[in-house]
Amino acid sequence: MHGVVQAIILGVLIGGVYALMASGLTLVFGIMRVINVAQGALVILAAYLSYALFTHLHIDPFLSILIVTPAMFVLGVAVQLVFVRSLRGPDASELSLLVTWALALGIEGALSAVFKTTYRSTLPSYTYHSWNVFGYQVGVVRVLGFGASAFLLGVLSLLLTRTRFGRAVRATVQNPTAATLLGVDSNHVQTLSFGIGVSMAAAAGAVYGVIYPFNPGSHYDLISRLLSIVVLGGLGSIGGAVAAALTMGVVESVVAVEISPTWAAFSFFIVLIAFLLVRPQGIFGLRERTL
Amino acid sequence: MTRTPARRLAAALVTSVVVAAAVVASGSAAHARTSAGPIKIGISLSLSGDFSDSGKAAQRGYKLWRNVVNAHGGVLGRKVELIVKDDTSSPTQASTNYQNFITKDKVDLVFGPFSTLLSAPSAAVANRYGYAFIEPAGGGPAVFQEKLHNVFFTQPAPVLQSADVFVKYLLSLPKSQQPKTAAYPSLDDPFASPIADRVRTLLEKAGVKTVYKTVYPSETTDMTPIMQKIASKHPDAVIGGTQSNDAFAQVKAMIQLKFSPKFVFLTNGPNDPAEFPSKVGANNVNGIFSTGDWFPQERSPGNAAFVKAYVKAYGGSVDTIDPTAAEAYAVGQVVQDVAKKIHSIDNKRIIATLHAGSWPTVEGVLHWNSIGEPQGSDLLVEWVNGKLNPVFPKAVALATPITPKPGWGG
Repeated sequence: MHGVVQAIILGVLIGGVYALMASGLTLVFGIMRVINVAQGALVILAAYLSYALFTHLHIDPFLSILIVTPAMFVLGVAVQLVFVRSLRGPDASELSLLVTWALALGIEGALSAVFKTTYRSTLPSYTYHSWNVFGYQVGVVRVLGFGASAFLLGVLSLLLTRTRFGRAVRATVQNPTAATLLGVDSNHVQTLSFGIGVSMAAAAGAVYGVIYPFNPGSHYDLISRLLSIVVLGGLGSIGGAVAAALTMGVVESVVAVEISPTWAAFSFFIVLIAFLLVRPQGIFGLRERTL
Repeated sequence: MTRTPARRLAAALVTSVVVAAAVVASGSAAHARTSAGPIKIGISLSLSGDFSDSGKAAQRGYKLWRNVVNAHGGVLGRKVELIVKDDTSSPTQASTNYQNFITKDKVDLVFGPFSTLLSAPSAAVANRYGYAFIEPAGGGPAVFQEKLHNVFFTQPAPVLQSADVFVKYLLSLPKSQQPKTAAYPSLDDPFASPIADRVRTLLEKAGVKTVYKTVYPSETTDMTPIMQKIASKHPDAVIGGTQSNDAFAQVKAMIQLKFSPKFVFLTNGPNDPAEFPSKVGANNVNGIFSTGDWFPQERSPGNAAFVKAYVKAYGGSVDTIDPTAAEAYAVGQVVQDVAKKIHSIDNKRIIATLHAGSWPTVEGVLHWNSIGEPQGSDLLVEWVNGKLNPVFPKAVALATPITPKPGWGG
């Protein structure tokens, strides 16, 4: 029993970080029907930025979130303006898949050229510290990572529910045509939301680099996980993404401990498929959407 | 499909290029091989593709040997000329390269490529033409299971036996200090988990109880759940069949879980003096064991001179020399010695001679069984006072092993 509880704690802590990455992906999908398959690569890019800031300027990786996030927000806005916005017509969704995939490969290539393909880790002095909570060992970096993710998800939630911009975003998610008719500048909303989505990847990337070793190719594994999380949570639902990410973290961790690490990654897909058979729209997804 | 004029033109062009190439090739073949000329050695190396880092390291070793031997008058008074072709890390291309070396370039000798994957098919090609296949890096079962008599692997032991030295060390300890229980977390990789499995079998025979074993897939980034499970079993020893990242992650997870077993042995990862301390923290390395076929400070035949020449030629510190370079250099040493002994570079005689006797190289003094498996032992290395040192067998030890492992940060 002790082992299972410890595994659940680990799963929740790491699930929180995945939730942050997935929130950006699902937000962007909800607003503009763009599946940003570069989200994983953007996470890794941010991990490298944070790594570079730590290695060369000795900036703490968690503090580096304050630098990396705004920088990547600007990058996200630029990507949306240059690559995504120009896609028009009925095929825009499919084309966006190609464009963002190209972006992912471009980022991977650039990172390989600059940082080589060796695995890196951001290792601040407290990497190896852990706390003993009621007999359970919890790594300091994992708690900090979870805390940072929860805080940023909270901020995102406030932004979406308490601000005028947030209302415009939610209106666009629910019915883009009606939102435009009511005076929402959808171009503006889309650009900013893409930037926010990317900045969520950025913050999560800084955390990811502290917890896991990464190289430019790490984004393949990441994006497959993120897409599964978003699908399980319900496309476009941030709450769903959080619930799905936590589910993934806990399922994988418990299976790795109690059954075998070989089945850990696969087990989440079993949950995903079983759930989608019963509820195809995902945890919090809506059955029908009008475009 | 109809043929357009453009297609026909293209086909004609291709045909003429092929014919021209064949003419050139046959012309050059006719000139080949005068016994007074240089000794030509064909080597296929992975200069691009997945194994390019190691392929280039092997190339550095081979070239260094060539430079050293030529500076001393060559082999049997003839200069050595290396013909290196890139195989793009592909086994098919490697086989093709060896085929061409032997049939087109008419080389005198061939040296092995990088890794088991490429060595196994290449050895068969060399065998077909009666060429000795002295090779630096193909130590996996695939190379030896063909039972070829022309293969000679220039490392102290076949890969699967590389961790046997740790078992020998454990059993050399007084009974009270030996581990009673062990856990085996291993990577699903032909060069990781089988090594740990072998150690487990040997230790079980010696009475060490297995409390946990698991094989994890290569995409496992988080070792914490596995380590947590192991920690709950309180084993005396953690023995992991690892590559590099998973080894770092295992150690990191142990530190975070404040789990410090008496013995930690990982097949790969801790044996990388340049990377390991930076990946797990310099004050956490002490007492961790690993294994290696070559070590910069090793007192093997010609090693000091090799290391000195290497650093002079390529720069960097001794700790950054890739063992693959030493393995390749050893191939050259073997050939140099055998040629001196039989006054010939005839492949048939080389093969027959190498099967008898022992051969001093930077990899230690090598001797082989009839299918080219080296009959020696790898080095057991351990981090002692923040430095990686060979600690066993005693004859080659540069430091006294410390057991049990000090706590993390100690």
